[in-house]
Amino acid sequence: MVELTSSFKLEFEALDQDHRKMIDQVNAIITEIDTGNTEVCKTQVADFVIFSKQHFAREEQLLVSINYPDVDKHRKHHRDLYDKLDHMLEFARMAPENDIACESLKKELVYFIMDDVITADLEFKDFLTNA
Amino acid sequence: MKGLLIHGVCHAFGDNKVLDKVAVVVPAGELVCLLGPSGCGKSTLLRIAAGLEVLQEGSVVIDEVTVASNTVHVEPQDRRIGFMFQDYALFPHLTVLDNVTFGMKYLPPEKAKARAMDMLAQVGMTDQISKPPHMLSGGQQQRVALARALAPEPKLLLLDEPFSGLDTNMRARIREETLGVLKECGVATLMVTHDPEEAMFMADRIKILGRDGKILQAARPHEIYYHPKHEFVAKLFGLMNRFDGVVDNARVETPLGSVAAPDMAEGLKVQVLIRPEGIVLASSENANGTPLELLSTHLLGHDNVVRLRLASGQKGEIYVRVHHAFEPELAMGIKAKIDPDYAFVFPVEAGQ
Repeated sequence: MVELTSSFKLEFEALDQDHRKMIDQVNAIITEIDTGNTEVCKTQVADFVIFSKQHFAREEQLLVSINYPDVDKHRKHHRDLYDKLDHMLEFARMAPENDIACESLKKELVYFIMDDVITADLEFKDFLTNA
Repeated sequence: MKGLLIHGVCHAFGDNKVLDKVAVVVPAGELVCLLGPSGCGKSTLLRIAAGLEVLQEGSVVIDEVTVASNTVHVEPQDRRIGFMFQDYALFPHLTVLDNVTFGMKYLPPEKAKARAMDMLAQVGMTDQISKPPHMLSGGQQQRVALARALAPEPKLLLLDEPFSGLDTNMRARIREETLGVLKECGVATLMVTHDPEEAMFMADRIKILGRDGKILQAARPHEIYYHPKHEFVAKLFGLMNRFDGVVDNARVETPLGSVAAPDMAEGLKVQVLIRPEGIVLASSENANGTPLELLSTHLLGHDNVVRLRLASGQKGEIYVRVHHAFEPELAMGIKAKIDPDYAFVFPVEAGQ
């Protein structure tokens, strides 16, 4: 299980709220996998993918509005993550029949939210604070 | 979060910037591998995490405690970190058991000994406890070093090229055993290596560090190998065949056939990189593909590396890896085509 501990907070409520919701989604998916409800997680992963893309769009809009200088780089980073989201959908599809897919899905979700999304966002934490 | 969080780390030696906004997350129980060529700054990052190098910019958090930032520097011995170097750094004048108990002086001697014996049992070294390190093989020394690093129950384990001193057969066995022990302990582990195969075998996630000190890609091993996002990442895994071309209708023509180039601008100059195992050879008369001439073959045991050139006489050599018995004396009329899973298209950068 993962949580939005203080070292991962941007101290910018709108984005922290999004991250918190994504973490809740990840934890819910992991719980379903661990209790054997792998069919349910297909829908949950699809919801997570939709929300992640909405979050990326909201975040990019915010970064443009505050004139963040590396917004194009961050936008490209988000586009690169689309492939990972596609893989998660594939893993979720395979999860009911394949234990390795379940394990890979859990790992991918945790690294995606903690490393690819939140830690990458920490790069503009100082800029947000001073904006 | 239990584990390691490094973010925003920049580091320079004089004018030489070796790390540029590097971020790494290692959850407890996971193994993340930093992979990159010699001199790319990966060992520097490890030393910063350990506190052996003073952080210049960014922060290091272990189990939610900031151990390095612009205002904090926790000393290495107070970070609860295990460190395993490539030369193992065992104390030559101490026995195996004394080496492992050395880092647990904070415990009563009997408890330290019990803990050391537990760890030595985990790595299969309880029958060697009275020997000094020089009486052990390289693999045995590595096991003792692992036991010593894990005995004080560190929150984080740092491995710096831990298997590079071992011969090929021993390395494969020891890294498998090491992985088993690490997973059982549940410790967060950050390992650096320049060996792609080692990273692929060990890591839950690989982070590729480029020569400019930036993380170029972070992903699971499968994704790094089959979906490299950067030319540098694709080339890390060894020899590549390169063909230059131009994007036309979202495809690029090469002498061995066309390759998809989605999301690339029409008319863009690109390079197509194809792994040696991504060129499929056929030698029957009715086979499809581009005719090639055989130059030489090199049997490596599990596969062959075959060197060829285009029968049309076009310049340049083509390297192919063949996973079955291939006898050049019996190969007539060789034809080749591309397996798209092993072909990658990248823009041609200025100066290439």
